[in-house]
Amino acid sequence: MTAPPLAVRGLEYTYPGGIAALRDLDLTVERGRKLVILGPNGSGKTTLLLHLNGTFRPTRGEVLLDGCPAGYDRHALNQWRRRVGLVLQEPDDQLFAATVGQDVSFGPLNLGLTALETRERVGEALAALRIADLADRATHTLSFGQKKRVAIAGILAMRPEILVLDEPTAGLDPHGVVHLLNALQRLHDAGTTLVFSTHDVELAYAWADQAAIFQDGTVLRQGETTAVLADRELLQRARLRPPLLLELTQLLPGPLLRSREAVLAQLQERLRVNQ
Amino acid sequence: MQAIDHHAWTNRWRDWHPLEKLLPALTLLVLTLALPLLSIGPLVLAATVLATVRGAGVPLQTVLSVLAAPAAFLLAGIPFLAISLSFTAGFSLHFSPDGLLLALETSVRALAAASCLTFLILTTPLTDLVPLLRRVGIPAGIVELILLIYRLIFVFTERALTGRQAQAARLGYSGIQRGVRSAGWLAGALFQRALEQARRLEIGLAARGYCGELRVLTPERPLSWPRLTIVMAFVILIGVMGGLLAGGWR
Repeated sequence: MTAPPLAVRGLEYTYPGGIAALRDLDLTVERGRKLVILGPNGSGKTTLLLHLNGTFRPTRGEVLLDGCPAGYDRHALNQWRRRVGLVLQEPDDQLFAATVGQDVSFGPLNLGLTALETRERVGEALAALRIADLADRATHTLSFGQKKRVAIAGILAMRPEILVLDEPTAGLDPHGVVHLLNALQRLHDAGTTLVFSTHDVELAYAWADQAAIFQDGTVLRQGETTAVLADRELLQRARLRPPLLLELTQLLPGPLLRSREAVLAQLQERLRVNQ
Repeated sequence: MQAIDHHAWTNRWRDWHPLEKLLPALTLLVLTLALPLLSIGPLVLAATVLATVRGAGVPLQTVLSVLAAPAAFLLAGIPFLAISLSFTAGFSLHFSPDGLLLALETSVRALAAASCLTFLILTTPLTDLVPLLRRVGIPAGIVELILLIYRLIFVFTERALTGRQAQAARLGYSGIQRGVRSAGWLAGALFQRALEQARRLEIGLAARGYCGELRVLTPERPLSWPRLTIVMAFVILIGVMGGLLAGGWR
C-alpha cells in the first residue's frame, strides 16, 4: 500500500505563551477523497489546518508528506505549499490585490510561471468557480460570497493536489453554499483531494467520504462518514448532534441514504403505502 | 471617497489606457499653472467638467461635490487677499481692487487645477495609475505598499464603520465627552486589529508562495494612439484658445 499524500502523527502544538491547542493528534488524508474535520467552534480546527501546509510547526509529533517527515526550510515549504493549498476562513485575510484578476495571478507568479501561463491559470481558476465575469472587478466591491470564491480561485490557480478549506460554507447563504459545493464537487471530480473543516453535521453527512471528529485539540475518531456519524456516543462527547438526515434514514428500511431528495422520496413512498 | 472610487471603476472611460487620461489631465494642469493668463482657468474648468460629465458619464452632482472641498477652501481665502491690513498710520483696513483681482485669479486657477485632478481620479482607478508609477522607475516596494494600503483602506473603513455603529447602538456617542472616549477606544481596537490582520494576511499570502514580493499580473490595455492624438489635439486647442481670448481682452 502506498503512503497517504498527507498525514499527521502524534501532533502536539502549544502556542507561544503556553496554551496547549493540539495534543496527541492523528489524521490521514487519503488521495482522491473528501475528508471533513468536524468539531465545535474554538476546538482548534484552524490550528490543525495551519499545520497541514506548514504554517505552524508542531511542538511534538510530525506531519508526513507521502510518508516522509515534512521539512520546514524555505525550499521544502515552497514544494509543500505547491501541493497543499490552504484557503482561510476569512477571505479578507487572503485577498490583498485591488482587482480579482490580479489577486488570482499572485500564486501562479510565485510558482515561477510566465505571464502567459499565469493568465491561462487565472482564467481556468475563475472559470472553475464560475466567476469569470468578476476578473476585472475591484476586490473591495465584492460580496462576501464572491470574495470567498475568489479566495478559493487564488489557491486553485496553483493547481494543488490537496485543497484544504477552513469553514468554507461559514457566512454563506443557502444559495452560496450550493454554488460553492458544486464548484468543489467539480474540482473533486477532476482529481483534487479535498479537506475541509466545519461544525455543520448535515453538510458533513451529505457531502464527505470521510469524517474526523475533532474535540478539544484532538481527533477522537476518523473513518467513513456514515459509520462515524452513526456513533451517537462519540458525537455526544464532541458536543455535536447527529445529522437529521441520518436519523431519518435510519428509521427507514433499506440502505442508508445520503441525499435529502432520496430520503424525502422514500418517506413519501412510505406514507402512501400506509394510507 | 467611496463615491469617487465607485465612479473611477464604473465610468464610460474606465477601459481607456490610463495614459490617455493621465497625459491630457497633466498637460491641462501644467497649462493652467504655467500660462500667465486669466482666461485659461475657466476654459480648463469647463473642459474637464464637461469631459467628466458628458464624456465619462460621471454625474455632475458627484463632480461638484468633489470640487466643493477645494472651492470652499478658496472662498475662505478671498477676503484675506482682497482686504489689506495696514499698520502704517495707526491701524486701518482697506479694500484693494488689485487684491480682489489677484484673489479671483488665484481661485479660478486653483479650481481649474483641482478640476484636472478631479477628472483623473473620477475616471481612472488607482490600480490603473500605479503600474505607470512602476514604469517611470518608482521602486517596486513603494508601489506594492501603495496598492496594499489602497486595499486595506477599504477593509478598515468597513471595520471602523461597523465598530462605530456598534458603539452608537450602546449609546457610546451620546454626549461629547463620551463620544471622544468611544472614538479613542475604537481607534485603539482598530490598531490592534490592524496588527492582527497583518499577521493573518501574512499566513494567507504564505499559503500562496509569498516570499517577499507581491507580484501580480496587470491586465494589458492597448494604448489607442488615434484617441490619444484627438484628446491631445483638444488640449492644445484649449491652450491656444486661452491665449487668443487673453489677447482680445488686453
